[in-house]
Amino acid sequence: MKLPLLTERFYKLVSPDIPNEWDVEEVLEPFIDKSDTFCKEIFTHIPVIWPVSHSLCYDFLRLLPKTLDHLSLEQIPHWIGIILDHYETHGLRAAQRFMQDDLTRYLSQLHGGGGLGFTSIEKRLLPYIRGVAGTELQLRKNRVSYTDSTTIFVPEELEFSSRRDINFLLYKFILTFQWGFITQGSFITTAPPDYSHTQCNNDVLWLRAFLDEFKEPQLARDIYHCLESIRVLVFLNQELPGLMRAAKQHIFPQLSASLNNHPLRPLQQVLLTENSEQDSVLKKILSKSSTQRYLNGQASTDDSLKLTADLFFTLQKSGTDYCPISPFPFQGALRLQAVENARKIQNQKLEENFVDLMAAYLHNHSLQEASNHTNENRQNGYKGGLKDTDISVILDSELTQAANQEQPSPIVICLDNAQMKMPPELQECAQNCFNEFGHFPTQFISSAAGKAGHAILENEVQETQTKESAAQKDTILYDEWDYRRQGYRKNWCTLHFKNLPPIHSPFVQNTLNKYRGLTIRLRRQFEMMRSNERFMKRQRDGDDIDLDALIESIADSHAGISSSDRLFIRLQRNERDIAVLFLVDQSNSTSGWVNNAIKESLLLMSEAMEVLGDRYGIYGFSGMRRSRCELFHIKHLDEPYDDKVKERITSIVPCEYTRMGPPIRHAISLLKDVDAKARLIITLSDGKPEDYDDYKGKYAIEDTRHALLEAKTADIHPFCITIDHQAKDYMQHMYGPANYIFIDNVRKLPLRMSEIYRILTS
Amino acid sequence: MKPTETRLDKHLITEEPYYLSSGREIEIAISAHKNCLPLLLKGPTGCGKTRFMYYLAWKLQRPLITVSCHDDLSTSDLVGRFLIRSGEAVWTDGPLTLAVRAGAICYLDEIVEARKDTTVVIHPLADDRRELPVEKLGELLLAPPEFMISVSYNPGYQSVLKDLKPSTRQRFVAISFDYPSPQQEAEIVCKEAGVDKHLAASLVKLAGMTRSLKDSGLAEGASTRLLIQTGRLVLDGIDIHTACRAAIIDPLSDDPELLAALQEMVSSIF
Repeated sequence: MKLPLLTERFYKLVSPDIPNEWDVEEVLEPFIDKSDTFCKEIFTHIPVIWPVSHSLCYDFLRLLPKTLDHLSLEQIPHWIGIILDHYETHGLRAAQRFMQDDLTRYLSQLHGGGGLGFTSIEKRLLPYIRGVAGTELQLRKNRVSYTDSTTIFVPEELEFSSRRDINFLLYKFILTFQWGFITQGSFITTAPPDYSHTQCNNDVLWLRAFLDEFKEPQLARDIYHCLESIRVLVFLNQELPGLMRAAKQHIFPQLSASLNNHPLRPLQQVLLTENSEQDSVLKKILSKSSTQRYLNGQASTDDSLKLTADLFFTLQKSGTDYCPISPFPFQGALRLQAVENARKIQNQKLEENFVDLMAAYLHNHSLQEASNHTNENRQNGYKGGLKDTDISVILDSELTQAANQEQPSPIVICLDNAQMKMPPELQECAQNCFNEFGHFPTQFISSAAGKAGHAILENEVQETQTKESAAQKDTILYDEWDYRRQGYRKNWCTLHFKNLPPIHSPFVQNTLNKYRGLTIRLRRQFEMMRSNERFMKRQRDGDDIDLDALIESIADSHAGISSSDRLFIRLQRNERDIAVLFLVDQSNSTSGWVNNAIKESLLLMSEAMEVLGDRYGIYGFSGMRRSRCELFHIKHLDEPYDDKVKERITSIVPCEYTRMGPPIRHAISLLKDVDAKARLIITLSDGKPEDYDDYKGKYAIEDTRHALLEAKTADIHPFCITIDHQAKDYMQHMYGPANYIFIDNVRKLPLRMSEIYRILTS
Repeated sequence: MKPTETRLDKHLITEEPYYLSSGREIEIAISAHKNCLPLLLKGPTGCGKTRFMYYLAWKLQRPLITVSCHDDLSTSDLVGRFLIRSGEAVWTDGPLTLAVRAGAICYLDEIVEARKDTTVVIHPLADDRRELPVEKLGELLLAPPEFMISVSYNPGYQSVLKDLKPSTRQRFVAISFDYPSPQQEAEIVCKEAGVDKHLAASLVKLAGMTRSLKDSGLAEGASTRLLIQTGRLVLDGIDIHTACRAAIIDPLSDDPELLAALQEMVSSIF
């Protein structure tokens, strides 16, 4: 094909953008000698990449001729999908690198071989490890695997074997092994009874302090790590024999070759040896009794500490410079600093939790006291509120002893000279503090007392303001459907939660007056829809006898006609159990009459809904670009319909654009956990979904359609009320037939909306 | 023999059901029966509430009438109704009336599933009045001392909409059930399914792992009942992985990721 023709086609595809002519010509030159069909096929990919990144699109075209030596035309869309994933997760550089350098790896993965990415299996392994551990462990990606006792870090990708299943097995084994360290208590926090000579302050992990005391700390660490690994291995042999069998079969044989001539090699070798031979290998290094203890699973961290010291002195005699051993992948690294940091964070949380609970407790206590002394205070001119100095807390000296007892006695606090028993939640928290610190830090009590004192003085208004500003900071990421790729753009849109400022205005009263007659009629209609009970006559069984039917039946049988067996009355109850979310389009195009009509309809609707008793929520949505989709809170699902809600309805104003995907996806997540027989999302819109960026036309319609399909999958019924004059073309495609309604006259909206809801739910 | 007696015969438990006590629940229940107090059993699915009732009925030598509650259960379903037989209206006692007349134990299983207006009918029976008004007959039945009413529910899995009314709640002596300790649970699985101790212990370990998935989206972990069923499948020659898949994993969830995670647990243990 000729270059001008190619360039013309390119410009058409990227319109309205007008890129530099020389850039375009440069990348299109290699396609001059290609056939027309080939070029057409290649050009279908341009609209997929161009809107995401222009330079990525140029790079793609530049590298395509070379890539096509290895990939067929059918494989290109998949390859593009991966490129875009790289772009969206790691940026332009990563996507370019992938295109240039990682083709071979991509090809090997395509043919079923190659590495395994952790992201693809995380959702499977996270519940696995949490189930096994019984705690809420976190998983994170990192170059080296290790654990800090709350999170397990694993490599982003494993290329241990050419088989995917074996790479998966190794991931699973790494996680389980790291959990083994946690559950076996390898990371000793406080000094064991025999080691009280090694002291450290509370912030430092005792094990780190202990190992750092050695002349060659790295050697001591490696010895301890190996010994603990043996302990974990024996533990896993007992606990999870299935996993160990698989590991011995598929993982260990490939590892044995990687061992070098290291002084700790025999110790590490034990990990890979068959159970029957472990004894003889371990005996070469440890005493007979220690070997027995380790292999029988009786060894404890105390054994490992003692043997670390013994082995350290034996190995150190060799006198050569120590070179750290490289651990097996499943052993990971021993990162005590990370454990220490994680512990600090945990302790901080523990402290915060205790202080909060204690402060709440003291606060209540003070309020009670205050109410007891109100009269007295009044006489002294005291105007309520307590200072922190008013609360005196004395920590019982027996507290510290209680922690050391096997069965701790209930923790008691002395408050204003009276002994008070703590509530169970606080007791548990205090006990955790004892366990963690070995004693009770007194500053916790004083900060709790301080907080309680301040809490009373806090102004209610300030509190609400803080809450509101905190809520405003809340954001959530949602995927977006790209029909051109037939895949999701991961975490593509950021939905910001915003609060509408309540506005006091006569709008509410005016509307209610204006539609007074209609409101009464709607209320009556909605009242009739309330869970109704009615007697069903002529039933086969029921609560009572249907006398009419019985007399008829007896008469029939006397007359020789076969009589009916439907002789009962049954009380039929039709309970309404409906949860509905209204999503209101706040795009700029709704300004003027439309906005007013929407507000009026919402008011009338809410008035009528109150009679009905259905649970409903109202949210407005707007925003600009994918990074700023906004959701305005008007009424939460279980929030009562009060003046605040009315004021928020009044304050609905047209904002920016209509990106419909994120608010629908958020509504799904809100409704998904609601227990109701019928769940509805009703969208109130004035036109097509459209945003400032490339969210328009087919792309926007397809994303919205996909979000609505997600709703249907979650058993949520979507419905749309629209006032767009050209709505008919795309509404059926988006919502499906009979799931939308078109209102030609905006002024009729308030009346029609309630009618529609009535028809929809009865 | 009266028809009522024939109907009751079926409800008498003649053989001792297997029940391993894990606390003082038997003592409490017997004392409640002696003092004419109603009983409330709460605990997760498949942890032995119904078995406990069978055991109690056997121990007290009283017939046990069980009603599985559902949201269509009406007062007539419990108290009784007129039925038409050969052109005549004949009164038939419901299970509750039957139990009151015969001094049996009436056990309303999963009471929260029944509508609140239905459960109100047990109120006069569950306090010191111990009477059941049968309005349609114009009769007021007084419960004999042997009669006992017992209800059960699962506090974990029902929604907030289906909670017991405080007025219903506050009439009962409550016994809280939970899964037994691992050793006891293994013993139960061993005895009920007839599997060896090692397998029973491994199954219990698996159950423990599934139970800690509650915060990861699994509504409820594997119950003791599921473990027994798995044991029985294994005993019948089905291999352990298939048996676990069929009797533990698949009944617990439909979520593909959770299913995969559960499968990984099975392959790690066995």
